[in-house]
Amino acid sequence: MPVYALEIIVVGIGLLMLMLDAFADLKDKRAIGYLGVIGLIAVFGLLFVVDRTSSDSPFWQFYSADGKSMFYKGIAVLTTLIVLLMAIDYSPVTIAQTAEPEEGAHPQAGLGEFFSLPLFTCAGLMWMASATHLVSIFVALETVTISFYVLVAYNRRNVGSLEAGVKYLILGALSTGFLVYGMAWLYGMTGSMQLSEIATKLQADGINETGALFAFALLLTAMAFKVGAVPFHQWIPDVYQGAPTPITAFLSVGSKAAGFIIFMRITALYLGNGYLVGKITLVLTILAILTLIVGNLAALPQSNFKRLLAYSSVAHAGFLLMAMASTPTETVAKSGESMSVGSVVSFYLGAYLLMTLLAFLVMTVIRASTSGESISSYAGIARTNPFLATALLFSMASLAGIPLTVGFFGKLFVFKLAFEQEQWILLACGIIGACAGFYYYLKIAASMFLSSPNEGETVPAIRVSPAAAICMVLLMAAIIYGGINPSLLLKLVG
Amino acid sequence: MIFFFYLFAALAICGGLGVIAYKNPVTSAFSMIVSFLGLAALFIQLDAYLVGILQILVYAGAIMVLFIFIIMLLDIKEEEEKTFSAGRIFSASIAGIGFLALVTLVLVRSGVGHKEALPEVAGLGGAGKSDTHHIGELLFSHYWFPIQIVGVLLLVATVGVVVLSRKQLR
Repeated sequence: MPVYALEIIVVGIGLLMLMLDAFADLKDKRAIGYLGVIGLIAVFGLLFVVDRTSSDSPFWQFYSADGKSMFYKGIAVLTTLIVLLMAIDYSPVTIAQTAEPEEGAHPQAGLGEFFSLPLFTCAGLMWMASATHLVSIFVALETVTISFYVLVAYNRRNVGSLEAGVKYLILGALSTGFLVYGMAWLYGMTGSMQLSEIATKLQADGINETGALFAFALLLTAMAFKVGAVPFHQWIPDVYQGAPTPITAFLSVGSKAAGFIIFMRITALYLGNGYLVGKITLVLTILAILTLIVGNLAALPQSNFKRLLAYSSVAHAGFLLMAMASTPTETVAKSGESMSVGSVVSFYLGAYLLMTLLAFLVMTVIRASTSGESISSYAGIARTNPFLATALLFSMASLAGIPLTVGFFGKLFVFKLAFEQEQWILLACGIIGACAGFYYYLKIAASMFLSSPNEGETVPAIRVSPAAAICMVLLMAAIIYGGINPSLLLKLVG
Repeated sequence: MIFFFYLFAALAICGGLGVIAYKNPVTSAFSMIVSFLGLAALFIQLDAYLVGILQILVYAGAIMVLFIFIIMLLDIKEEEEKTFSAGRIFSASIAGIGFLALVTLVLVRSGVGHKEALPEVAGLGGAGKSDTHHIGELLFSHYWFPIQIVGVLLLVATVGVVVLSRKQLR
């Protein structure tokens, strides 16, 4: 089976789910969600067996099937899978906050699309992972963004969700404008839209360096918006807080991972030209420093858990940018044993997927039974729900980067890279950020286990659905396994 | 020829300024048509006839009709007088002027106004055929893959519109 069949299958499953929602007489529409989950498990399995040989046809100018694209396709499928599981557990909230029930209408009206739209987003993310042409980058990115506009505003009876949707729409459209303007400049300077051709042209003598750098600045603005780097992060807290919780998880992992692969592919264009590399590393360093400092310090005073995770996602973007800013330059090129920037970023994103999705999964389960999203409502939750509290503890420990968790190795590789490239200021900011992280992540853990619940805010014992429980156990196991033996994930990263 | 370039460029810019300057949304929408007409003329000057015509047909025609239709349906009155704080005006002007200065600087330094500063790009091949023919051929042969993705994109947009506007918000 050729590799591009994967996206076709994902779109096909999405269409099937839409059709079932419209025409089948289902009593419980959550069955549609489970169909999506099963389909995505099958697609995840197929990722390892597809035929990745390319040919001369023009198709392969738009699409690549190298190890990196396969890894990011895996991230997209896995994220969508867990997001669907969350959406199934979240369905009481979705039903309550979408359309007003009408006479004769299905009591779960509006649930089917909430399960099928993520499938199309997933296909878009997978196309982004493979995109090697400015046109395919653009159309794949737009597929993802447009489906996110809808999903973010999905809880229409919730003013916060609508506000988040409008903010995301306006700022997203603006960043798309920057992206297209940057692509136009890049095409104007090189006369090509195919990434490998652009890279060759940028290395050639007589390239218009001012124009090429301006193109990078515009593209960087758009990419920084997508991955949530300071100063283009203002939308993140509001949108993350307002969006339905499963969608927040989707934005925070899927959208960020796909943003980073495009970011890496575009940055890689400039790496062949010594003059341009210096300038770009400087800009990336400044961006990384700002993101690390602002993301971590702004997370400290947060009292809403979703908002805290939003700033945490900005902070993690900072660590990822720190790796990207430590691109080996010729002066400090060391022996072949150090990891490449691409592998470090991919490893970090793989680890980030595990721990962030675990946190959101626990949060979704708790949110579906209570209405609280503030950190104080998690106080003493370990007494009534020891399993959920333990799962959240694993996730927080890994996000903070405590040894024996996969998050520790993620941070370790980033710091090692920055150390090898002698990026001292960046390293100092990273250490400050990691220390702040210890405080705000473990604050939640301490509140769950050590403090007693507030008066009248006791969280009842919550029944976790078997699928979500299995998923949580698997994620916890993966976090610990990756923390003891990172070689498996490293092998996948390539 | 250069005279016409400045004429239509000025028309496009004036239309753009009108969109943000007028308080009445209908006037704003009509200013946008003026801006699109200016742009379409610029495209035609560049021998991009199809893009120019599409600009008029799709933007000035279909999309603007939709805009005005919605403005009329929603019965939007003139925008209320809004006051902005001095700090906001200051930061907005810094951002706007800064970007303008940056673009000007880049245009001057990169010298893209001169033909030599840019790489040669092959035009659409094959004489004797219209550019509509060439673009159509390219879209459905070389660029078939992005076109397929656009199909999914449109599907998502359609489903999204239905989802978000299905019933009255209460």
